[in-house]
Amino acid sequence: MRLLFAPLLALTLHAQSASYQNDVRPLLSRRCLACHGPDAQSRQAGLRLDTRDGALPVLSPGQSAQSRLLSRVADPKRPMPPTGPRLTAAEQDLLKRWIDDGARYAAHWAYEKPVRPALPVVSNPAWSKHPIDRLILAKLDAQSLAPSPRADPATLARRAALDLTGLPPEPQVLARYLHSPTPASYAKFVDELLASPHFGERWAKIWLDLARYADTQGYEKDNKRSIWPYRDWVIRALNDNLPFDEFTVRQLAGDLLPDPSVDDLIATGFHRNTMTNTEGGTDDEEFRDLAIRDRLATTGQVWMGQTWGCAQCHTHKYDPLSHQEFYQLYAFFNQTEDDDHPSDRPLLKLTSSLSTPVLKELPAAKHRQTRIFDRGNFLTPGEAVQAATPAFLPPLPADAPRNRLGFAKWLTSPENPLVARVTVNRFWSRLMGRGLVETEEDFGTQGSAPTHPELLDWLAVEFADKWDTKALLRSIVTSETYQQSSAVNPSLLQRDPRNQWYARGARFRLDAEVVRDQALASAGLLSRRLYGPPVMPWQPDGVWQVVYNGDAWRTSKGEDRYRRALYTFMRRTSAYPAMTNFDAPTGETCTIRRIRTNTPLQALTTLNDPAFMEAAQKLAQRARAESPRDPLRRLFELVLVRPPSPAELQRLQALWRQAEADFRLQPARAEKLVRYDEVLYSEDRVATILADARTTPPEWRFSTNEPTENWFQSTFDDSNWKSGPGYFGHFEKPSAATPIRSAWTTENLYGRIAFDLPQRLPTNFRLPIRANCSFEIWVNGVPALANSVYERSGHYEYDLTEAGQKAFRPGRNVIAIKATRNNAGNVGQVFDAGLIATAPLDTIRAKQDPGAAAWVVVANTILNLDESLTRR
Amino acid sequence: MSETNLHPVLGATRRHFLQGCGLGLANMFLAEAQTGSSARLPAAKAKSVIYLHMAGSPSQLELFDYKPELIKFNGKPCPDELLKGKRFAFIKGVPKMLGTPYQFKQHGQSGTWLSELLPHFSEVVDDVTLVHSMTTDQFNHAPAQLFVQTGNPRFGYASLGAWATYGLGTENQDLPGFVVLTSGGNNPDGGKSLWGSGFLPSVHQGVHCRSQGDPVLFLSEPEGMTRGLRRKTLDALRDLNALEQKQQGDPEIEARMAQYELAYRM
Repeated sequence: MRLLFAPLLALTLHAQSASYQNDVRPLLSRRCLACHGPDAQSRQAGLRLDTRDGALPVLSPGQSAQSRLLSRVADPKRPMPPTGPRLTAAEQDLLKRWIDDGARYAAHWAYEKPVRPALPVVSNPAWSKHPIDRLILAKLDAQSLAPSPRADPATLARRAALDLTGLPPEPQVLARYLHSPTPASYAKFVDELLASPHFGERWAKIWLDLARYADTQGYEKDNKRSIWPYRDWVIRALNDNLPFDEFTVRQLAGDLLPDPSVDDLIATGFHRNTMTNTEGGTDDEEFRDLAIRDRLATTGQVWMGQTWGCAQCHTHKYDPLSHQEFYQLYAFFNQTEDDDHPSDRPLLKLTSSLSTPVLKELPAAKHRQTRIFDRGNFLTPGEAVQAATPAFLPPLPADAPRNRLGFAKWLTSPENPLVARVTVNRFWSRLMGRGLVETEEDFGTQGSAPTHPELLDWLAVEFADKWDTKALLRSIVTSETYQQSSAVNPSLLQRDPRNQWYARGARFRLDAEVVRDQALASAGLLSRRLYGPPVMPWQPDGVWQVVYNGDAWRTSKGEDRYRRALYTFMRRTSAYPAMTNFDAPTGETCTIRRIRTNTPLQALTTLNDPAFMEAAQKLAQRARAESPRDPLRRLFELVLVRPPSPAELQRLQALWRQAEADFRLQPARAEKLVRYDEVLYSEDRVATILADARTTPPEWRFSTNEPTENWFQSTFDDSNWKSGPGYFGHFEKPSAATPIRSAWTTENLYGRIAFDLPQRLPTNFRLPIRANCSFEIWVNGVPALANSVYERSGHYEYDLTEAGQKAFRPGRNVIAIKATRNNAGNVGQVFDAGLIATAPLDTIRAKQDPGAAAWVVVANTILNLDESLTRR
Repeated sequence: MSETNLHPVLGATRRHFLQGCGLGLANMFLAEAQTGSSARLPAAKAKSVIYLHMAGSPSQLELFDYKPELIKFNGKPCPDELLKGKRFAFIKGVPKMLGTPYQFKQHGQSGTWLSELLPHFSEVVDDVTLVHSMTTDQFNHAPAQLFVQTGNPRFGYASLGAWATYGLGTENQDLPGFVVLTSGGNNPDGGKSLWGSGFLPSVHQGVHCRSQGDPVLFLSEPEGMTRGLRRKTLDALRDLNALEQKQQGDPEIEARMAQYELAYRM
């Protein structure tokens, strides 16, 4: 009965009035304004439908029968709009009713200042003591829906910990709460999470998506950039609960504050995360201009949910921002010193070896003239403009400086209708799975309308009072709405499939970073160290294929392999695969909201990525050490923060028995799983076989004359060749860092060296080579490498071909090299090579334990449960 | 008749297609779906698209883009009119022109001009379409590659393959819809954004098959696991997720399990 009643009610209401705000404007915006909107340049027939004055000629308010708008829309031969599907009967009827009602326009809701709403009367006052709950329940009442019961304490504890710190709850804190799970102890539990230093890490990562943070410059070369002090600043600011208005001002204009501190300057790194193009032959001004546009577009997106980037080429098609106003805003950001220089200047020197990019205002005498760029092309500057805020927003106070500082303070002034709304909406979304305004990135007329406008305004007004981020998060997390169980029955699922009315708790897949951090934390591997330069945890070979420079992914040592994901080195053009697969952005542009996807690559990552496999190995090890009699229960609890049900225990025990039987048949495989980390970090076993010229190189036999045909064979007699160590070559200007020890001035260099290998051969032979020439390598007479890359900076580790790898043998081996200068230049030539390889696993420790390996398989399975990957 | 009065798909010229990429293509597909007007289009025959991007290949001026005027200017200073108001990488002052040293001849019934470097190609050229009208003012590798692949010289936009899977989806049950193969030692200058999904959901990004190691990252079982044992863990996952589904009721759980099975088939 209830199911039938609700749609009927909706239909009756619909027939009575057509809301401009909710129905008509979205329709006009979607289908009409591209040609009949704010942009005068592309406006057709001189008609605009976004203002009542503009539309009057075709409206005939109150008399829809006379309305040209309606007759054109219904025209059987030449209907409006001319492209796309015709307006449906329902859409035409909507326009008709709206016109008959007087065709009333209203300002776009988001551009009106939020007002604290009156709290409505609701059906269940006991459930809704919290204003958030009152406002949620009012909508539930209207939909004839009832809230779900509170989630059980363990579920709730995991939920709140993952949301607030991005990690599973700490055992002692969890135990205190579960000992007596009352609302008061829950509030205390939440406070402990908010006070944890890991809170700042979790919420910093969320902010860094917006800041398009990465550890490289972007574009073709994508060189390294030391901007991580900014990342650390964000973590500290969030942990210190720096009020959001100050958080804003320091990032946009910290350098313009009176007497700025070092931290205030580092904070301006926010806008130094724009990319720098150092590819040969680029026009620095072109990419400086792009960076400024990016700063403006990002600022509009992050603080105001505005798609200002659209107005760089033409007046915005839907929102009230003109082409000229875009460049007036641009003028605020156009006076900084940075100029797309490879050094990323200006830099702030922090220590003798560390400088970080910051914003620095040009002296007044050097200020740039900002001009409107015709069609957004920086080569066709038009009329000059001065810095100004757009007309549809409150004016900049008369006494405010016309610079970034004035702009930043204007943003967070009480008059601004957007900043608090956009910000609370983002916080809400991270905790509840979706924003009250679903289009977090667009609060303009093309964005979606808020499902709970009063709640959005209540949160915004509360927040803007003190800009207290932690208080806002506490307020949401302690609401009954947040604490509901996320279980859903078929009828509720049908009534509200996307949970837009919040009659249940939110259930969604964990963010990429949390997926990794949780696995490491439950395995006891996670490093709790905060801050510092980015690290390089294990990643497959060959992901970094860097053009032109010799940057390589060198797996970190010790606990740096297990730092939280936010410290992983982010190269824009070559992201860390496990992060990208789970929808983490690459830092190329500002990402307001991650769209969660569900792909087979995610399954492959958590099933097979060796980093996750290592977590499974250590998780199994930990559970067996902590609970030798019942490792399964412990394993389960370490990941899911709850005891397994009998059915779950039974199924996992069955899997363990299957796996154990399997490993009994092939015990060698059991060893590989039980010693997974040793197999994985083979670089820990890398041994130098032939030192290169950076240390104490051995003597090579070499010749600069053309030798006889079989010179590269191992049997060749080189006893009459010269003898000497690397570097080989000559320089016009000798360099202390690259000392030439054996002169080579001719076109070709031939070299040979003999050495012994042990009975148990190493694997994965590589040659660290420094060269500015092409070269070929033979191993025991077998062609093993031919390289024509002209030059890489410093020594670069070259892999051998498969045939070359197989050519090594126990006992005596000979490597032969031929380096060729190709008549290139006369500044100098250099060649040097060493040989490294991975030593075999030490066999003394080998212990083939099928049972232990089966626990690794069970741990890998538990880490892949839907519940493990989900916050519910 | 103005272009915009044509059918949304037929009326879209190549210029619209590439320039208006943005959400234009998606809108076209949506419009198509809404009007159900596909009957007015010729039946689609193509089952897949193979798109080769050959960075660092020989110049088209030596292969199939015949420029007789350029040959006349070979070795002479570049005329002013070609330099005025233009920007080029590395070029300062007035450079000299370089015409092709190879002989061009017309081939096939189409009379296509081809150089002597393409003897086999010249025999089949009537089966090939050559598009000569594509130009760009991007003169550096990375932005030009991005422009070719995403319609925009800047990062953050969706690539052609991402658009195709976004708009058309895929019928292949065992492989991702958009697969990228790279060869040679390095990634292209524009990086992985050349097959990225930009502002589209990342499910539409190209799945990069590598020429060394696992073709798709994490495709092979970790050392010590076997396919048989993996099947057993997936069976356990399915049973345990079914328990969760029963209790939680969230259809996402089934969706995740389906992806695990696809991963297994890959």
